[in-house]
Amino acid sequence: MAQNINPHYASSSNPAKQNEDTIKLKDNHAVSKRLQKELMELMRCADKGISAFPESENLFKWIGTISGPQDTVYAGHKYKLSLEFPNSYPYAPPVVKFLTPCFHPNVDTCGLICLDILKDKWTALYDVRTVLLSIQSLLAEPNTQSPLNQQASYLWPNQTAYKKYLDEFYSKHKDS
Amino acid sequence: MSYKTGDLKVYWNRINYAFPILNDTISSECTAAEYEEIQQIIVGLGIQVRIRDLVLVHIEKYLRQRVIPPFWSKFMKIEEEIKGFQLFKSAVNDLYEAVSKFYDMLRQLTILNSSCGDNKPVFGEKNVILGFKQLVRATLLSQLPLNYQVIINHFYKVSFNVFDNEYENSDMGEDVMCSGCWNEYSDCNCAYIVKVFHDTNRKLMELNLLERLTGQVLTNFIQLRIESHIQKLCNGTFDVSHIAFLENWLDTTVMSWLTRIYCAGSSKPPPDDKNIQNAIEKFKQKLSYYLYHSYTKLRIDQLFNIIIDYPDSQPAVDDIKLCLEKTDLRATLCRKLQVALETRLLHHGVNTTDILTAYVSTIRALRHLDPSGVILDTVTKPVRSYLRNREDTVRSVVSSLTEDGAGSELAEELAKFAAETDGDSDKDEAWDEWNPDPVDADPKVNAADRKASDIISMLVNVYGSKELFVNEYRTLLADRLLAQSVINTEKEIRYLELLKLRFGESQLHFCEVMLKDISDSKRINALIQQDKEFEAANKFTSNAMILSAQFWPPFKDETLELPEEIKNHFKAYTKSYEALKGNRTLDWKPHLGNVNIEIEIGNKKLDLTVSPFNATLIMHFETKPEWSLDDLHQVMKVPVTILRRKITYWQSMGLISEKSSDIYVLVDDSDAGKANVATNQVQEMICEDDEAESVMASAHDQRERDLQVFWSYIFAMLTNLNSLPLDRIHQMLKMFAPGTECSLQELRQFLDTKVRTHQLVLQVGMYMLPKT
Repeated sequence: MAQNINPHYASSSNPAKQNEDTIKLKDNHAVSKRLQKELMELMRCADKGISAFPESENLFKWIGTISGPQDTVYAGHKYKLSLEFPNSYPYAPPVVKFLTPCFHPNVDTCGLICLDILKDKWTALYDVRTVLLSIQSLLAEPNTQSPLNQQASYLWPNQTAYKKYLDEFYSKHKDS
Repeated sequence: MSYKTGDLKVYWNRINYAFPILNDTISSECTAAEYEEIQQIIVGLGIQVRIRDLVLVHIEKYLRQRVIPPFWSKFMKIEEEIKGFQLFKSAVNDLYEAVSKFYDMLRQLTILNSSCGDNKPVFGEKNVILGFKQLVRATLLSQLPLNYQVIINHFYKVSFNVFDNEYENSDMGEDVMCSGCWNEYSDCNCAYIVKVFHDTNRKLMELNLLERLTGQVLTNFIQLRIESHIQKLCNGTFDVSHIAFLENWLDTTVMSWLTRIYCAGSSKPPPDDKNIQNAIEKFKQKLSYYLYHSYTKLRIDQLFNIIIDYPDSQPAVDDIKLCLEKTDLRATLCRKLQVALETRLLHHGVNTTDILTAYVSTIRALRHLDPSGVILDTVTKPVRSYLRNREDTVRSVVSSLTEDGAGSELAEELAKFAAETDGDSDKDEAWDEWNPDPVDADPKVNAADRKASDIISMLVNVYGSKELFVNEYRTLLADRLLAQSVINTEKEIRYLELLKLRFGESQLHFCEVMLKDISDSKRINALIQQDKEFEAANKFTSNAMILSAQFWPPFKDETLELPEEIKNHFKAYTKSYEALKGNRTLDWKPHLGNVNIEIEIGNKKLDLTVSPFNATLIMHFETKPEWSLDDLHQVMKVPVTILRRKITYWQSMGLISEKSSDIYVLVDDSDAGKANVATNQVQEMICEDDEAESVMASAHDQRERDLQVFWSYIFAMLTNLNSLPLDRIHQMLKMFAPGTECSLQELRQFLDTKVRTHQLVLQVGMYMLPKT
């Protein structure tokens, strides 16, 4: 995971965590630039089904939207997410949470997501777009082996029942 | 001390004899000697103060009841001027006589008053006579009737006519009517009028009533005269300065007449009477201010025309400049001119070029009028914002900048600027000539900026940025370069150099590359023509223009499928080019350029220069004499509507005719040809008109494209943040969408079009995406 390490701080054992303060001072501008570029890229590509934009003037806090992938139980649903970028971004992953409550084996009741690329599999090559795309595909293919939501995990094999429950859940919570 | 009743009665009779006013009559036979005696009695009785006060009360009552009402009764509302003249005269005469009857009594009263010894002022004046006059005036004015001014006005009008005539008696000499009094010469009344006039004025002056009674009327009247005189003098002529004339007129005619009124006939004020001199002086100040005021007002009303005529109208502008210093009409000027510009210039019926011409001469004229540039700044604000909304403004400005020959003032201006930049190094040195800004100046704007900006930068500033301007120039240059087959690059280079002086090198770097492309193309063309391989495949001569895609403005996209043999030719050319320049290739724009073709049909032979489109069209008819529009559309890949439009060119040339609806055939008829050849010239012009439209995407189109970029941002913004107000969107764009600028207003317009096309929803000031 060489690309996971800021070359400037390669000597340090766990650079992303320990040096966050130092990085904050020095690299804030570079991070802004990177985020700005990612935003531009996102606007240019204009993928169907995913979208994101800074919440306010603060470039480090974005709101994202993903629509449920076609031909899955999530089709037609729309989920809002919050993305918070640390000052060590992109050497540390953004903190991504569901704002719209999401009934899913790998999403807990607070909206926290269990996804490897947001944890230990993160590399600096990922960006907002790929993160959102990954989450979108996670909706279609949950990892039932390590569930955060046991009920969803149990229900998942029975797709008809799952869909029924999910639709109810969604229409109850979508506006919260 | 005691008196018998009989004595008192006798004394009272004596006093009544001396002051008949106590019985409400005036005529008194009391002589000075007799009064002496009566005075003794009064003093003896010690009642001098009471008697005096009693007498004064009675005088007041008498005046109020007997003298003043008949005076005012003459002030009727009368139409005839000469009757009014007479009435006023007799009123003043009667009053004068009535008043002079009091003088005997007043003499006695003076003696009485002096014996009182209390030094009490009489009606606020220090002696009886003055007090009496004051009393007369007060009583008079307390009964002022409503229409008293009518006959006074008549009176002065008649007399002024006589005077005015005296000074200007010339051209009406043969008339049987005297222009002074409107009588026939045989019984001209002028002399009489003059005499009466002076007499009346003298009496009024003596009564101290002149200013009180007639001042207002006189002022009104003279102001009216001044106005009409100015109107008469200055209508429609802007090329002469009138100020000196007008001042002279005021001095000679008006002032001398006034002096005569005040001085009872003599044309010079008495040197010892300070009062009269002061009064006249004051009057003169008032009138000359009024003269300036009304002259300026007139000029301000005409200012728009004056500006259009500038610089021929410079004397008029000079006049206004002079007058503005003496009057307070600056604000009026700004407001009126603004309104005039708006009503006469800023509407759809006016050509952009005309607006620009007017704008330029406004800049010039107002620069001259107000070197500080404040008026200009205020007045032209609406013009600028209007021009900003016109699509063809930049194009017009740029084309007139680079046009040569007569009538293109802007081109001259540009050249002038180039000459000026050398010699203005030590302008700041003139600190002792510094003037503060006018009061209405915007303190936020630097005075130096305001002065420094010249006409071209004012025009460029219409848009606030040079960039758009330079872009449009680039488009125009591209058009011109592509339109000409033989290119006069020298001239273009000269203009480019001039523009560079103004806009800076970096802005115009692209244009430089474009010009270089042209000269490079010539060279490369020559090289390719020598290429053996290319020559082998060559069936006709061709010249390619090789443009650097990075530096040229984007072209309008049009498709055109060329005939096979032409395409092969192009391929050969490309191959030869690739051999010449490694790692580079050509991307052909088949719809641009010119084609020289020679058509032989029947016994007819035509030499034409046409667009590639038309050439392709006719080439297809070479292989097959009959085509339907659909088939043509298939081979040429051009929309049917455009095909139908373009084919009219060949129809007009008499080479193709429409057999039936949408089926076209080649005309192989030599007879029909003859008649048509004659019309070629005309038709070609029509055709050229057709082709004259720009092949470049205009600045407006480019702007649309920019805004389209914004749309993806706005869409993303609203997808994630639900709803936002306008200014928030604007702010976000400014932060996150760098590179392109967009004003709040422009954004609003853009969003509104999106709302109209149902791509957005506007609810209580918040924009949001429609729910799907």
